[in-house]
Amino acid sequence: MSRIEIRNLVKMYGAHQALHGIDISIQPGEFCVLVGPSGCGKSTTLRMVAGLETISGGEIAIGERVVNGLRPKERGIAMVFQNYALYPAKTVYNNMAFSLQLSRMPKPEIDRRVREVADILELTPLLERKPGALSGGQRQRVAMGRAIVRDPEVFLFDEPLSNLDAKLRGQMRAEIKRLHQRLQNTIIYVTHDQVEAMTLADRIVIMRDGKIEQQGTPDAIFHDPDTVFVAGFMGSPPMNLVDCMVTPTGLKLGDSEIACATPDGLRAGARVICGIRPDDIRPAADQPGRATATVPVDLIEQLGTEKLVHFRAGQHSMIGKTGGRVDLAEGAPHPLAFDMAHAYFFDPDTERRIR
Amino acid sequence: MTTMLRQMTTRGTPYLFLLPGLVILGALLSVPLYKVVEYSLYDNVIVERNPTFVGLANYTNLMTDPGYWSAGFNTVVFTVGSVLGHMIVGIGLALLVNADIAPRARTFFRSMLILPWIFTAVVVALNWQLLLNPFGLINYMLQWMGLTSEPLDWLGDPDLAMWSLLLISTWRGYPFIMVSFLSGLQTVPRELYEAAEIDGAGFWHKFWHVTLPQLKPVIFGVALLDLIWTFQLFPLVWLSTGGGPGRATEVLSTLTFRLAFVDFQFSQAATVAVSILIISAAFTLLYLRNEARRL
Ligand SMILES: Nc1ncnc2c1ncn2[C@@H]1O[C@H](COP(=O)(O)OP(=O)(O)OP(=O)(O)O)[C@@H](O)[C@H]1O
Ligand SMILES: [Mg+2]
Repeated sequence: MSRIEIRNLVKMYGAHQALHGIDISIQPGEFCVLVGPSGCGKSTTLRMVAGLETISGGEIAIGERVVNGLRPKERGIAMVFQNYALYPAKTVYNNMAFSLQLSRMPKPEIDRRVREVADILELTPLLERKPGALSGGQRQRVAMGRAIVRDPEVFLFDEPLSNLDAKLRGQMRAEIKRLHQRLQNTIIYVTHDQVEAMTLADRIVIMRDGKIEQQGTPDAIFHDPDTVFVAGFMGSPPMNLVDCMVTPTGLKLGDSEIACATPDGLRAGARVICGIRPDDIRPAADQPGRATATVPVDLIEQLGTEKLVHFRAGQHSMIGKTGGRVDLAEGAPHPLAFDMAHAYFFDPDTERRIR
Repeated sequence: MTTMLRQMTTRGTPYLFLLPGLVILGALLSVPLYKVVEYSLYDNVIVERNPTFVGLANYTNLMTDPGYWSAGFNTVVFTVGSVLGHMIVGIGLALLVNADIAPRARTFFRSMLILPWIFTAVVVALNWQLLLNPFGLINYMLQWMGLTSEPLDWLGDPDLAMWSLLLISTWRGYPFIMVSFLSGLQTVPRELYEAAEIDGAGFWHKFWHVTLPQLKPVIFGVALLDLIWTFQLFPLVWLSTGGGPGRATEVLSTLTFRLAFVDFQFSQAATVAVSILIISAAFTLLYLRNEARRL
């Protein structure tokens, strides 16, 4: 267990700047998840912590040591790769034992550790197999086992579950969570998947174009987004983000008016981006007493426990929700209630939150 | 009936196209093959109009001929030495030119290092004769560096000739191995090296635990192929040392040539050729089995 300090981290690939000054401070034992769209620099950041990429500027400290000049093996880290990167010619046992063998650990101690970890990960019956004879999920577990046997100070994961099917991914996610509870190591975990981010993280770092957009607990990221980008990134279906006009009594959304309180700084006539999650837009009958607007519903998606209600407000397509048993006609206008107490307002120019 | 005919023609078409090639190959291969085996069973072929059938007498002669055994021994030394040389130099250079350097420099080095392969044996042999000459560049350099006081007769000294020949053969033959390994190296996933690096592996450990296992099938196939080629290699040896000095570098192929075209003992030459054929065929079978297993 050790803390990780990333200070003003910069990465240049030739003339292309991939990272523009990243600052992250991870507490000992914290599970930190990096998310963001493809190409935003998540892997680059992780690989710089691992020592697989050179550092163009800034500082990385693991524990109390600045590790900028250290080689990967001197950093006390273990990494799980997206494609597992298991040694194809070695058995599962030797894949897991390799780093210990290299560190000249006595054989009985190696054996004890490998078998203990294999036991935790239910790999014991597979120890003599080669990776080629394993399923995707089993390979994934071997890759984790290889990281765990070293008992590193820090675990680094780069999209470890993205090659698994949905069901297995759910299982492995829970398994990783359990492992973290048990081992209490500091973890940096890169993913595309916002469910993984929300469920695993103690801290989520949202990146965009080589910069940090926002970092905080999953709660803070989801319920208190700082920018339009973060608001739209987390949540599925995503938050509705629409251009509105402020009126004396509320907002003008397309042709309809919605009565609500607006932030103090906004005067009537000003433009604002209003963000409201689909969960907060429901048929008026579901949540009486809220601001309602009658809008044309053009599509209903049945998800089982709930239905997604697609409707139009002016030129905007928006999504609301209702229970899976509620009957709602497609192609007809319908009164929907907007829970404006949970609406977010953003400046259309800076895209930052107006509080 | 018609469908059968049509099936036969569609199935037969590829073979029809192959036919001319097969015929030419068959004629060029099977006739000499047959003739060589036939010659080895007669006495005084070609020189006499009516050679006498002697059965396996030529073979028993050969078995008791110390010249044959010494040539056989030299062939083994030359073949094993050359293949080892090719392998070591080829793998080493492949690793070097696979390094992460400027792409232009890499292309330059790769092209330069393939050069030895494109010269014909005559040019290679002549060049090395000039270099290794007692008054040649290499002796000059050695003397200049103070490593030797007397110029060495690299190709003329019986103790040195085989080593010099191995040097020439290694220089000549490594590019094929290098190119094979280079393409093999590029199929090794980068993540494996990164994983090994994190596991604490240095250069040699990465080579031993990641590169070699990945290249093993390539290494085995290429080594066998090289063995087959080198085993019957003639021009380079003949042109560099001519099997000399004395019989110091006489290999089976030069022995065959000498018996046939210097001593005009065509029967005996044919017998040696058949012995080469049998050994080469054995290696070829081994190679084919290895290839089949890889598929
Ligand atoms: N070796 C490299 N040379 C040049 N540019 C690179 C290199 N590696 C990454 N980049 C660039 O750096 C940026 C960040 O890449 P990175 O791999 O960190 O993205 P990512 O967030 O991990 O994306 P993904 O989710 O697709 O894996 C990208 O614009 C990418 O094109
Ligand atoms: Mg990535």
